[in-house]
Amino acid sequence: MPETLTLPNAPKIPLRRYLKAAKDETLVTPATVTAPSTVVVDHPDSVTMPATTDFDTWLNAKPQSITTIDIPAGFSSQEPIKLVGPQAGGGLIRVTIGENADVAFQERWTSTGKTLGIAVAIEIAAGATVNWLAYDAFNADTVLLQRTANLAADATLNMTVAGFSHNSGASLLTTNLNGDGSQATINVGVLASGKQHIGYATAVTNYGRKTVGHINQRGVITDKAHLVFNGIGHIVHGGRGSDAQQENRVLMLSEHARGDANPILLIDENDVTAGHAASVSRVDERQMYYLMSRGLSETVAKRLVIRGFLEAGLGDIQDAELKQELFETIDETLVNANA
Amino acid sequence: MTKLEIKDLHVKVKAEPEHPEILRGINLTINTGEIHALMGPNGNGKSTLAETIMGNPAYEVTQGDILIDGESILTKGVDERARAGLFLGMQYPAEINGVTNAEFIRAAINARRPKDDQIPIMQFLKQLDATMAQLKMPEDMADRYLNQGFSGGEKKRNEILQLMMIKPHFAMLDEIDSGLDIDALRIVAEGVNSMRGKDFGTMIITHYQRLLNYIVPDFVHILKDGEIIETGGADLAKELEKTGYEHLKVGDANA
Repeated sequence: MPETLTLPNAPKIPLRRYLKAAKDETLVTPATVTAPSTVVVDHPDSVTMPATTDFDTWLNAKPQSITTIDIPAGFSSQEPIKLVGPQAGGGLIRVTIGENADVAFQERWTSTGKTLGIAVAIEIAAGATVNWLAYDAFNADTVLLQRTANLAADATLNMTVAGFSHNSGASLLTTNLNGDGSQATINVGVLASGKQHIGYATAVTNYGRKTVGHINQRGVITDKAHLVFNGIGHIVHGGRGSDAQQENRVLMLSEHARGDANPILLIDENDVTAGHAASVSRVDERQMYYLMSRGLSETVAKRLVIRGFLEAGLGDIQDAELKQELFETIDETLVNANA
Repeated sequence: MTKLEIKDLHVKVKAEPEHPEILRGINLTINTGEIHALMGPNGNGKSTLAETIMGNPAYEVTQGDILIDGESILTKGVDERARAGLFLGMQYPAEINGVTNAEFIRAAINARRPKDDQIPIMQFLKQLDATMAQLKMPEDMADRYLNQGFSGGEKKRNEILQLMMIKPHFAMLDEIDSGLDIDALRIVAEGVNSMRGKDFGTMIITHYQRLLNYIVPDFVHILKDGEIIETGGADLAKELEKTGYEHLKVGDANA
């Protein structure tokens, strides 16, 4: 690894230190994909992934598995295409979505390992609409992950990341609004516990004109966990008439929990709208009092308040079963953390 | 629960220990079956009394006692007091995202029942539908998040919905009439009246005689400068409507 690295903008996330670790390189059984027959799924020996930083270089080198998914133009189904990540490793996932397709895509990761590198790249062609849901429940020690979405003209992305992992590491969510009129909403809901040290850098860059990028991150921190939220909205020169909004909120449940919420707006164009909000707070006493005044115990009241807080990041999840699973995980985590 | 007693109650705001007491020796006994109205000028301690009885941690009892059937509840937490039968219809109910109204009310009912005897879901929904219909609340309010984006009037109605579903022994209703139009006022009053009975007592805090035309109280108390300075029947409220509070001075109590 060279001394001078080009790294993505991710304040307070020790990427440089992370990249010194040796990535797991043993080949593993690749991700399994459930999809209709019109969707082409393959596991080639090599694949071209986005490569602009040394973080990409690290992720792309010697992948443990490779999966490609090609969704044809005009494809339309609300039944999600489901991907389950390798059980004992990371790898590269490349998804291409054809013009005017209407796609629901779900990822689920519970992978084990020491230092996993995972890159998921989605190319969204003009006019396509994608609902992308990622459920991260990794059991590895460290996970360095990047999800990249490139949107062509008038494409729409609604992304929700449910971060319920136990690992430390970094998650970079990088969305490029390349085509005019493309829009993306990135929702992130994270529950950090134990001694976990995890950072999110959620970046949306408005390249095209009249593009809309919204970031909404919610994190709950228990035990001695440390959670960093970076929200980066960047409207580049030429992105006239674009909109960049973001909200980053962190709720801390224990004295030893640490949280950072860093909203970053980079505006290189005049004719735009942009805004941000950020907060790091503790459980709202007024809400607790109200719930408890109806007879709910402190424990139950707290769970409801926390669930409500995370809901703002995970509200777009339609899958009732998955939602129930997330709620149960929240409850279990809080019981274990004695929060 | 049959009797709530307030004895020589003195209360301060916890965060402002150097400020004088807000309540300065309240004595009041309320039995189930009775409806009490608590009136008085703004900022004289009516809400403080209700919040202190409920156990709002913002207030500190510096002297006196609050007893239910002879047993002090001062050391009990808010939730314990609620499960013991107390209810406070709040002036400014909190908004809670992500928790539906129905889910919350069901949790509140179940908090009062043993773990192996939780309310069956169908029975609960039937009760909820009927009560919401009685309060003329649109059906979708059951599935909306708790008070989130509710108008002032909807919040008040929602407090009464909870009251009717939870069925406490003793309810304090803090300005339940503020922000209600005349039709909503009548509906809310009918809701409270439907609770009337030997197992239910209430203390209604209001500024306006109008509410007491719909919910006729057995007793009316005037609270001023942290003390109850006068107690009478329903007529007292009517009299006040004409004379106002200004002429009433601490120490004039003729009760």
